[in-house]
Amino acid sequence: MMDPKNLFDTSLPGGMPAPIWFVELFKWLGFTLHEVPMNLWYAGIIVSMLLYVFGSEHGRQFGSRLMAQMPVIIALGINFGIVPLLFIQVGFGQVFYPATILMAWFWLSIIAMLVLAYYGVYLYAYGQAEQGPKMPRWKRAVGWVSALLFITIGFVFANAMSLMENVKAWPDLWQQHSFHGATLGTALNVADPRLWPRWLLMFGLALTTTAAWISFDSAWFAGRESDAYRTWTKGFAWKLYLVGAVWFAVAGAWYSFGTWPAETKQAMFLSPWAVLTVVTAAVPCAVLALLWFARQREGEISRGWASLIGLAQFGVLGVNAASRQVVQHLAFAPYFDISRQPTETQWTPLVIFLVAFVLGLGLIAWMIYQVGKVSGKTQTATT
Amino acid sequence: MHFPWWYVDQLTAPMLIAAISVIHVLVAHYAVGGGLFLAVETTYAYRTKNGDYLAYLKRHAKFFVLLTVAFGAITGAGIWWTIGLASPLATQVLIRTFVFAWATEYVFFLAEIVSAFVFYYYWGRLPEKIHAIIVWIYGISAWASLVIIAAITAFMLDPGNWRADHDFWSALLNRQALPQIISRTGGALLLSSLYVYLHAAITIKDAKLHALIESRSTRPALLGAVFIALGGILWYVFLPPSAQAALVAAPVLNVLMALLFVATGIVFVLLFLGPYRNPGWIKTPGFAASVLLFGIIGMSTAEFIREAVRKPYICYNVVLGSQMLTDEVAAIREKGFLESGTWTKAFVQANYPQVMSADGHVDRTRLLALPPSDRIKLGGMIFQYHCNDCHAIQKGYSPVAPLVQGWTPGMIRALVNDLDRTRFTMPPWAGTPEEAELLVSYLSDVSPARPAGMLPKDLKTGTP
Repeated sequence: MMDPKNLFDTSLPGGMPAPIWFVELFKWLGFTLHEVPMNLWYAGIIVSMLLYVFGSEHGRQFGSRLMAQMPVIIALGINFGIVPLLFIQVGFGQVFYPATILMAWFWLSIIAMLVLAYYGVYLYAYGQAEQGPKMPRWKRAVGWVSALLFITIGFVFANAMSLMENVKAWPDLWQQHSFHGATLGTALNVADPRLWPRWLLMFGLALTTTAAWISFDSAWFAGRESDAYRTWTKGFAWKLYLVGAVWFAVAGAWYSFGTWPAETKQAMFLSPWAVLTVVTAAVPCAVLALLWFARQREGEISRGWASLIGLAQFGVLGVNAASRQVVQHLAFAPYFDISRQPTETQWTPLVIFLVAFVLGLGLIAWMIYQVGKVSGKTQTATT
Repeated sequence: MHFPWWYVDQLTAPMLIAAISVIHVLVAHYAVGGGLFLAVETTYAYRTKNGDYLAYLKRHAKFFVLLTVAFGAITGAGIWWTIGLASPLATQVLIRTFVFAWATEYVFFLAEIVSAFVFYYYWGRLPEKIHAIIVWIYGISAWASLVIIAAITAFMLDPGNWRADHDFWSALLNRQALPQIISRTGGALLLSSLYVYLHAAITIKDAKLHALIESRSTRPALLGAVFIALGGILWYVFLPPSAQAALVAAPVLNVLMALLFVATGIVFVLLFLGPYRNPGWIKTPGFAASVLLFGIIGMSTAEFIREAVRKPYICYNVVLGSQMLTDEVAAIREKGFLESGTWTKAFVQANYPQVMSADGHVDRTRLLALPPSDRIKLGGMIFQYHCNDCHAIQKGYSPVAPLVQGWTPGMIRALVNDLDRTRFTMPPWAGTPEEAELLVSYLSDVSPARPAGMLPKDLKTGTP
């Protein structure tokens, strides 16, 4: 019987180039930012496809809007995904590399699937822009394929992230999928009971983000749509959020009560992490309440209220990302402690990065401001 | 060693890095050069109030966004994926050394994405001046990304003083950085002109507009050619001695260098014959596609050579192709390869407990007492972790079996014990004599017999 502790390399070269808190902060921030667009393609594309088949006129309208926005959403999602990927390798290479190498072909297949899914979305978006309702069936089918590919990508990601935490499974997976002691890269973490609820939990969360986006989009970007459409979005966003929240609650309960190891349960259900657990579970209710109030009010949703919903949903994702990070640390605890790694902070490059970060955000804000100015003019002219 | 090794039959895992990298650079260089092209030309078209040219540039921008933002970005992530899978140790060294360079590059990448979309989707809606500023933000950000990435990849060929001081700036400002920045900038300018020629040849019928695009694109192409030549010369001058020697000594690199010079030469000649001497030629898609094809061949070959001259290193003098640090070799040799590797030791512990000592170490004296079949299996593991980075087994990329075909165990033993002295592009042997015997057993097992029917007969054994 192989002891998984023997598979941990504690003699890796070099120290951490930044304080631990910095690595953790950017890993958390990057993942939270990545979650916004990622949630929209994860659940949003399949919702759009379903709405085209089963939805009302406004439902189809929303689906078309979201698919038209999707190329930009995907580009931003890929871009934001780089940050957590970078910092996870800085701090957690000991677990990240072995886990992904054990399932190398599946991990690498993400790239191929992403290329196909992204161009599928482009094909669909251009098809609906140029051909509208006359878009041929095969292009509609491509939309479905993209939706399924993104869900599959989510499954592979859930596998990799859960395998990182499931160090106990490494020896067997390695032995079963190896050639002369080298891994074949064909392992998957499907025997891990945490995988399935984790994957489903993320889909529930993605539904809630899609619902929040409906409100945000309606208030900020749907100026050219009819009043009837914008009023419809209030009700649909609330219903979709409710479905997502229930889905999230069921999968979350299964995940935490049914699959967490005893040590994780003990830590997450007792002080101080119990507060985080409760907040993670409860915070979607706050967004649901905001959507419910919006629904009760006359007329279309205001930009201020929609922004509050968007901000609150960002908080939901942020709290969720924080909980993930804590659970991840608890899983790693028997094997290594990130805080004990030697640190040799590269202060000058760190400061340069932060300055570039602030300037870059300023530049992006300026570009968005310019876009906002002309969009405002267009809407005023239309009105 | 430090991480599990990924066995990819025939191809070998690191060749996946090469495959994705080559595909990526063909788009990534266009993302930089094309961005600068759009910035210069959009500004020019606004200044000259050339509506037809602006309409073409908008069409080109659509093609540009579709190719670079989608395919370029994903294959860029693909390189991250493959280096982590096939070279985790080197990736760890690079990540920890350059995390803030990458993070800063990320900021430029984000600015690129946002500006590219704003530039394309808000064409005709933004004031001209703002629109032109946006595309310049793209062009400058893209070039800044190139500068940072080129400096990081240059570090892999020349870590400079970093080995002594482990300082970020020593690593970033290495001697290979400037040559690679110059040559990559040239490659970006030249390649983007070739893309423009082909795109224009396919999409434009108006002869006047075509002539304008041709004359405007030829200048950056020629400037790019000058940069490539200058950067290439500097690259060669500052190459480490082993890389210079590899260019001369490795037959594959000889062929690739010849291919590089021929392909680049053809591009220059076609540019001279086409846009310069016979401006109408480049209008034909076939001619434009031929120029681009030779440009792609040249750039792919250059990229492959850049990767290959580093052998036996992944990072010159820092990380060896055998997935260990150069500083570790002496200790590993002393302690034993199987004992030193995290995954090799775990494998031996689980599968060959009889060779483990009471205090949990691999007892080298027991290795040769194993039955022959187990010696071959363990030798196979040593091959995987020590050699498979550069050698497939029977067929595929530089397979080892044909390399030692017909060799006696004694010849193989001599090779293993003096790997780096036999061939300086190979890493030093990093194991004990007993482990060398295991590897000899394995290589003898996979080595085919001397081909039959050859004359004169083997003078030592008398066998044909």
